[in-house]
Amino acid sequence: MLGEFEYLLITAAAGLGEEAYGATIREEIAATTGRNVSIGALYTTIDRLEQKGLLKTWMSEATPQRGGRSKRMVRVTAKGVQAAKEFYAAVMRVSRGAKWATSEVRVTRD
Amino acid sequence: MTNIAWPMAEFAARSLEPTERDAILGDLIEVGETGWSALQNVLGLIILRQAQLLRTLRPWVAGLGVGLPSCYLLMGVSASVACTYERLFKPQVVRSPWWPTANEGILLLLCHFFLLLAWSWTAGYLCASLSRRTLWVTAALGFAPWFIDNFHLAPLPKSCVLLFVIPLVLGVLHGLQGTRISPLLALFLAIAMTGVMIFCWTNGALWNFNWALLVPAWYLVSVALRTAEQMGPEGSRLPA
Repeated sequence: MLGEFEYLLITAAAGLGEEAYGATIREEIAATTGRNVSIGALYTTIDRLEQKGLLKTWMSEATPQRGGRSKRMVRVTAKGVQAAKEFYAAVMRVSRGAKWATSEVRVTRD
Repeated sequence: MTNIAWPMAEFAARSLEPTERDAILGDLIEVGETGWSALQNVLGLIILRQAQLLRTLRPWVAGLGVGLPSCYLLMGVSASVACTYERLFKPQVVRSPWWPTANEGILLLLCHFFLLLAWSWTAGYLCASLSRRTLWVTAALGFAPWFIDNFHLAPLPKSCVLLFVIPLVLGVLHGLQGTRISPLLALFLAIAMTGVMIFCWTNGALWNFNWALLVPAWYLVSVALRTAEQMGPEGSRLPA
């Protein structure tokens, strides 16, 4: 099964579609989770997912707004979509009945 | 301060693969990271990549299997060359009883010197070919004996055991550049080294373990033959 960060990355890449590459995925994860992602964590996870066949990456043409540097484009494979679905279903199953999932949660302060 | 950090980040990124370097520096420019943040990100990625590489067998084979034994043996040969030179050309020098030299003459000194150059170059080439991106591990393991062992060469300085460093570094540079050697040249070098070694050994001027230093030369022959087979007659960059 996927790890939490792997799931976030696949979901962000799937949502970005044709615009999925390092910088946009990083921004998407930061915007939706409020969590800063290091380039190291991002790229090593992309490599791992690609090795598992869950992502496909390729280098794009160089663009002037990036100082003439190319992008590493990312696309989620069918296997990646399936793995993300399984992770999501597992999270939903395990969360059934949890207080925070039924909006009855009351936060207590120590 | 920020102005310094960007060139530092770009310099650090040179240790990454060219395509990855391009992608991450482009990403950092696009999102407008500050220089220090970019440097931190690049260093973080380098550390993660190194950690991944160190989990594989290759850098340890290069370091413990080639770097450490080769450098240790080459330190011994350097000491032998330096001491023989001193004995032959400065006989007035008071020698330590630990000197690794007996009655070698000029011919054996020249043979030793040739072997020192050839062994060092081939060992450097092999180390660079085996562990291009974790060369620091090989270097750290290879030079560890210099910091641990005293060598007992007085009045010669301890640094005389480092005579092999320049040809070794040249070999490393050629290995990093992927310099290809024609099979004929590699074979000639390996045969010459083996021949000179037999001559030295039969004259009692070499330690038995020094035979291990021939392994990189014959490895080079096998690589040159394989490369020539794959690339055809145009494959070599150095003349035969």
